[in-house]
Amino acid sequence: MASWPDSTRVIGAAVPRLDGLAKASGRAKYPSDERPDGVLFAAILHSPHAHAKITKIDTSKAEAIPGVKAVHLIAEEGATVRYHGEEIAAVAAESEEIARDGCRAIAIEFEVLPHAVTEEQALSDNAPRLTPRGNTQEGRAQQDGDPDAALAEAAATVEGHYSLPVITHVCLETHGQVVRWDGPDRMTVWASTQNVDGVESEMAGAFEIPATNVTVLTPVMGGGFGSKFGADTWGVAAGQLAKKTGRPVWLFLDRIQEHLTAGNRPSASAKIKIGADKSGKITAMIAETQGTGGISRGAAFPLPYVYEVPNSRRQHTDVRINGGNARAMRAPGHPQGCAMMEFAVDDLAEALGMDPLQVRLNSLAEQDTVPSGDGQPINRSEIYRAQIELGRKAIGWDQRKSRAENAKAQGPLKRGFGMALHQWGGGGRDDKQVTCIINPDGSVELRSATQDIGTGCRTILAQIAAEVLGLEPTAISSNIGNSQFPPGQASGGSTTTPSMAPPAYNAALKAREQLFRRIAGALDAEPGDLEARGGVILVKGEREVPWKEACRKLGTMPVSVTEGFLEGLTAQGVGGCQFVDLTVDVETGVVRLNKIVAVQDTGLILNMLTWKSQVYGGVIMGLNYGLFEELVMDPTTGLALNPDMELYKLAGASDIPEIEIIPFDNEQMRKRGVIGVGEPPTIATAAAIGNAVANALGTRVPAFPMSPWNVLNALAKA
Amino acid sequence: MPPQDPKAPAAPGRPGHSRRDFLRGSGLAAAGVALAGSAESALHEAGADVVQTEGVAIYSGSCPIELKVNGEAMSVTVEPRSTLLDTLRNRLDVTGPKRVCDRASCGACTVILDGEAVYSCTTLAISCTGHEVRTLESFETGEGSVPHAFHQNDGLMCGYCTPGFVTACQAWLERNPGQEPTLDDIKQGLDGNICRCGTYIGVFQAALDAAKAMKNGRS
Repeated sequence: MASWPDSTRVIGAAVPRLDGLAKASGRAKYPSDERPDGVLFAAILHSPHAHAKITKIDTSKAEAIPGVKAVHLIAEEGATVRYHGEEIAAVAAESEEIARDGCRAIAIEFEVLPHAVTEEQALSDNAPRLTPRGNTQEGRAQQDGDPDAALAEAAATVEGHYSLPVITHVCLETHGQVVRWDGPDRMTVWASTQNVDGVESEMAGAFEIPATNVTVLTPVMGGGFGSKFGADTWGVAAGQLAKKTGRPVWLFLDRIQEHLTAGNRPSASAKIKIGADKSGKITAMIAETQGTGGISRGAAFPLPYVYEVPNSRRQHTDVRINGGNARAMRAPGHPQGCAMMEFAVDDLAEALGMDPLQVRLNSLAEQDTVPSGDGQPINRSEIYRAQIELGRKAIGWDQRKSRAENAKAQGPLKRGFGMALHQWGGGGRDDKQVTCIINPDGSVELRSATQDIGTGCRTILAQIAAEVLGLEPTAISSNIGNSQFPPGQASGGSTTTPSMAPPAYNAALKAREQLFRRIAGALDAEPGDLEARGGVILVKGEREVPWKEACRKLGTMPVSVTEGFLEGLTAQGVGGCQFVDLTVDVETGVVRLNKIVAVQDTGLILNMLTWKSQVYGGVIMGLNYGLFEELVMDPTTGLALNPDMELYKLAGASDIPEIEIIPFDNEQMRKRGVIGVGEPPTIATAAAIGNAVANALGTRVPAFPMSPWNVLNALAKA
Repeated sequence: MPPQDPKAPAAPGRPGHSRRDFLRGSGLAAAGVALAGSAESALHEAGADVVQTEGVAIYSGSCPIELKVNGEAMSVTVEPRSTLLDTLRNRLDVTGPKRVCDRASCGACTVILDGEAVYSCTTLAISCTGHEVRTLESFETGEGSVPHAFHQNDGLMCGYCTPGFVTACQAWLERNPGQEPTLDDIKQGLDGNICRCGTYIGVFQAALDAAKAMKNGRS
């Protein structure tokens, strides 16, 4: 079994990202910035109706507009569009303005059908039937022990009904790509994707050309969060338009389409009955849960969550609506499961008259085993206990007052504290590869068909090679985002770094070995006499040969090795906890965050700077979920009311409170090996905010987001 | 220090017929009322073709204009409705400023127009002739510069909002030379920009560091 070096120089350090200056100076070329010679701009025409049959499409007026070069129909006559924003056609033109004119000039006759754009509408008696199987689908029933008997025996029980709305990814670079045909069966695609290999195979399949002839390039990209794994209808449309016109085609969604058709996080609601024994340990839970993932996707989420519930039953129903399809979004299902569970736990603690922190400690499983790279499994419950202690101190939990005390407090400003726990996997796959090339001029290159979606993966791979070769990370060219390179990991599930770090380490080790073997003779030494460190090759511990000079001994042939996974360098299964201190103005319903504390373990941290950015980013995305975000559907017209960035609310600079990040980083964690951090830190934030609001007000605000509307509604009912 | 609000309407005499003005004008035109006010004068200044159809003025066609971008005179043919952002990105290959919301909400398209930060997604290209456009590609990048501070503090992740934040920060520092802003000043100054990855903490530190460097004369 392999292990990471005990003492490291570059691994774990705070290394500024290699592409940071290019991004911060406007020089980095994103897929949407690519303008190959002769490029045409394309736009998409989308459905203006929530549910309609297309009875007639006439593209002749569009085609007649000077500058319009081609029209491609995504939906044909006779097809049914099933949500506002569904793609109908794409137009390529000499300019984007003309392409949009072309879209407007396509004459379509619709037979408008009855719609159901909310769960309530879809479940009503007179709802239109949206799929052949109806509007609902039952999830697999879960049952553990005897929850009815356990609830009857519980020292305290509480029943709650909580809900979270549909939100969208809001990738700042919208979904899209530039497609250029390089021959009759060969294309280059600059795609804003989390998965260059996946886009390659989908485009090859769609156009029936060999995958080897499709080059997908994603040097940098502007955010995905789980929504950018495929070529999508617009990718294929761009390929068709490029084929028809013989020119490269640029096609990116507009902001409205990005909200409506490029994915969303499903809603979630739960009716939960939960009980505990008199020591304050959860004994039973019965939950009826529901959610919508749009017209065809599910809205599953884990429940019970984190805590050990010996007796439980759960029924889940997915509801279909006339809405865009859900896509994976940063820790799919977990933020929902976490919020539902943590609300119930908090309300149960209130019924018990106990500190909710204590009920959580009492309800952790005695043994929650998670793996470690060094083969010594770890009890995650112990990690949680230590993390909760750190978080409790950092937020000042001892200042927390009970709900009853806060409700009695004078004045309109009420302060509250809340917390929540989360978990995630984040392990690596063992089938990915990295090439490490050492050139005779001393330059070093890594190659793999993975991509950096903003997480810092490019920099981390360079750090690993730099550590092994005794160089600075800036001396390594970390060449990723090219589907022609050895197979790399898609960026999902917090698996990228744990999948790519072991092959990068392996390839760098083997490249170093080969380098030593090939230059040892020229340095009058045996391979075993050589070390690489501090930018030199050290011969027999004394003579220093500068790196470049040593590499010249390679002659004309570079070292090039491609290696895969090594056992022992990664693990999975993380925990974390977050604490929130906030103030609610009960006259306006406005929630102001004072401070958030996030404690997170993720095994061996490879880059402390980008690691912290990930955790800050996760917390801020969770803060948006907790306070601001909701895609609002109009039941009357069936249209989305806020597919923009004005009324679809996201935090700005003034909304950001003090955020304290506490890396749970110790010898035991480092020995676990690499675990991804992208998703875990976004899970618990909204739940902790909701719990702090309940604590501040003395009453539960059951519906997210914690907006003035929902806060004042809850106060009116209290 | 006055807060900087890129959403504020153009002050009298300030360049930049906004697309909002123009769209308002267009709407009136469609209703059969003559396009009036600043948008109309901008169209005439730009020499746009005007087509009269049944008494309705439809402004279309192309107008060759001269723009000064990052100190360079550039000739470009635009439509009257072309935004400065789309002109920069689609016609001049100046792709530093990004199109994100396209409606003056998020700030990713921020450029500096005659020293002021503006949203280029809602500024018409034809109204920028004779004015100076600066994008972040023209900024210094060495130690003490704004891009350098963003890089060192990891004030970016995917980086798509970053051009807007960097430009807003640069414009703010130029308007407030020698000041050492507080965290609250920085938050207020950058409130016209939105980041989805959640890099605000690094952005704040970058802005504070850049201000300090500027005060100490390092940029």
